[in-house]
Amino acid sequence: MDSLITAAAQALAAGDPLGALNRVALRDDPPALALRGIAMARLGDFVRAKALLRQAARAFGAKATMARARCAVAEAEIALAARDLTWPTKALAAARETLERHGDRTNAAYARSLEIRRLVLIGHLDEAERRLADLDPSPLLPAARTIYELIVAGLALRRLQTKAARSALERATHTARQARIPELHAEIERASAALSAPAARMIVRGGERLLQLDEVEALFRSDRLIVDACRLALRQGSHVVPMARRPVLFALARRLAERAPDDVSRGDLIAHAFRGKEADESHRARLRVEIGRLRQLISGMAAISATRDGFVLSPCRDRNVAVLAQPAEDEDAAVLACLADGEAWSSSGLAVALGASQRTVQRGLDALALSGKVQSFGRGRAQRWTCPVAPEFATALLLPAWSSLD
Amino acid sequence: MTRAAAEIIREYGPFEGVEQVGGVTYDGRQVWIAAGGSIKGFDPANGDVKRSLDVPAHAGTAFDGKHLYQIAEARIQKVDPDSGEVVSTIPAPAGGGDSGLAWAEGSLWVGAYRDRKIHQINPDTGQILRSIPCTRFVTGVTWVDGELWHGTWEDDVSDIRRIDPDTGEVLDQLDMPAGTGVSGMESDGNETLYCGGGRSGKVRAIRRPKRSRG
Repeated sequence: MDSLITAAAQALAAGDPLGALNRVALRDDPPALALRGIAMARLGDFVRAKALLRQAARAFGAKATMARARCAVAEAEIALAARDLTWPTKALAAARETLERHGDRTNAAYARSLEIRRLVLIGHLDEAERRLADLDPSPLLPAARTIYELIVAGLALRRLQTKAARSALERATHTARQARIPELHAEIERASAALSAPAARMIVRGGERLLQLDEVEALFRSDRLIVDACRLALRQGSHVVPMARRPVLFALARRLAERAPDDVSRGDLIAHAFRGKEADESHRARLRVEIGRLRQLISGMAAISATRDGFVLSPCRDRNVAVLAQPAEDEDAAVLACLADGEAWSSSGLAVALGASQRTVQRGLDALALSGKVQSFGRGRAQRWTCPVAPEFATALLLPAWSSLD
Repeated sequence: MTRAAAEIIREYGPFEGVEQVGGVTYDGRQVWIAAGGSIKGFDPANGDVKRSLDVPAHAGTAFDGKHLYQIAEARIQKVDPDSGEVVSTIPAPAGGGDSGLAWAEGSLWVGAYRDRKIHQINPDTGQILRSIPCTRFVTGVTWVDGELWHGTWEDDVSDIRRIDPDTGEVLDQLDMPAGTGVSGMESDGNETLYCGGGRSGKVRAIRRPKRSRG
């Protein structure tokens, strides 16, 4: 136990990395190196932080298993914050096991939550949900607990479970008060706003109405046929046909649904599905093929019949088909709709799915990233894009709790 | 040298608002603990926290019969336990690498954690009078019945040792159970050693072996 290390750890815990550095900047013993690394990470210098933590882990020596494990957890979190794909998954899992074995429940749970945050970031939401269910959040410190609840809320929102999301946000508000980090409150407010803001525009027989998230949830639970342009899917009750990678078929389905029970002319359909081209014979032939494919895809949900001028969509059960669109549709709506499944996409994958040029998609992604609606990880050709489940701060650095004694 | 497992008589805490226990001392009525941002005094009969002094407290704590001494950052503060006022400060001998603190025979005894030493210093000036070498990282330090005891905590392993104050030779060693550490330490002048438990936030009362009482 050492006075300045305790003082520096306390400064870090109070959100004062400069104060921590002031106390240990000139020291090269392992706990000082580790605290310097964490302080540098808090200040955003990830490269230096990583180097210091590695140096600390080495200096601690083989017997100081706990201290080394905490260094590994910190290093993993820095990789996460830097959106680094060469992520030390095995090292983190090993560190978590060590911490669990030695009874450091706070940091063990924290390591678990980092593993979940990584899964969320790379779009493995099902796996993330499974791990969330296994994680006992009670040992987490208030700030980490708040982020945990934000992720629970984010996943529930994505699954359209508004009640679960609301109660997670209430718990987050409670723990954020203890954490005394103002940014956390801002994030909770942002997530709460998503619950009351218009979540979608419903178009039925040409008429429009804005829906809140819980109304969308109720709509999905009905057995009405829904052409969902927010998630690029056709759905009826529990039956969902994903269409993110079928842009032409989706455009046809949407146009037919918007006009149902009236029919839509061939020219209109060709203009919508084939990017505004003038209808000629080859387009008519292609339209017949695509309609045939769509018919097959949605058989059991709706029928498509030919009329004198074009085609008409008639749902099998409820006669009213509903189209769900973004509340305000701009050119990036389609990109967002592709990412809405939570999976990680490459920009080239998006370009193929949307039938747009990669440059257009990239421009859209950059604009969306600026407004925080999408996030990326990895670099160069390995770069992938996702819609953040929980707000950006959920990937900000908290770093493991450190004591002076290990 | 004799070696045995430490016998834990009683555990206190964790205490509300105390994330980690540093130094520990005893004034005859209350056990005082260094809790980071404050020094707190609890009643060893029931564990109730009676007092809290707003003094930075990062490592060792001691009591000279009238004043508390408390290490914070790289200095030793002399504190009036009634008012909580810092009466004076002296530099800590290990420059912030200091751990345990004890008062005995008109001197302060300061553990230098990574230096593996115990310094005897002048409580008025902070001047080092002499240094006793130890073999492991030193945490809490205490004197009782002419015996010098100190805690160690290194690589997740902790024990309590009685050493020869002249040579540093280990005379008795009490091993702490795995997963429990000793931060600060103070004797009650009798058979109990109060030991701070670091981040567990606990204080453990350990039995001082009879045979070493002379």
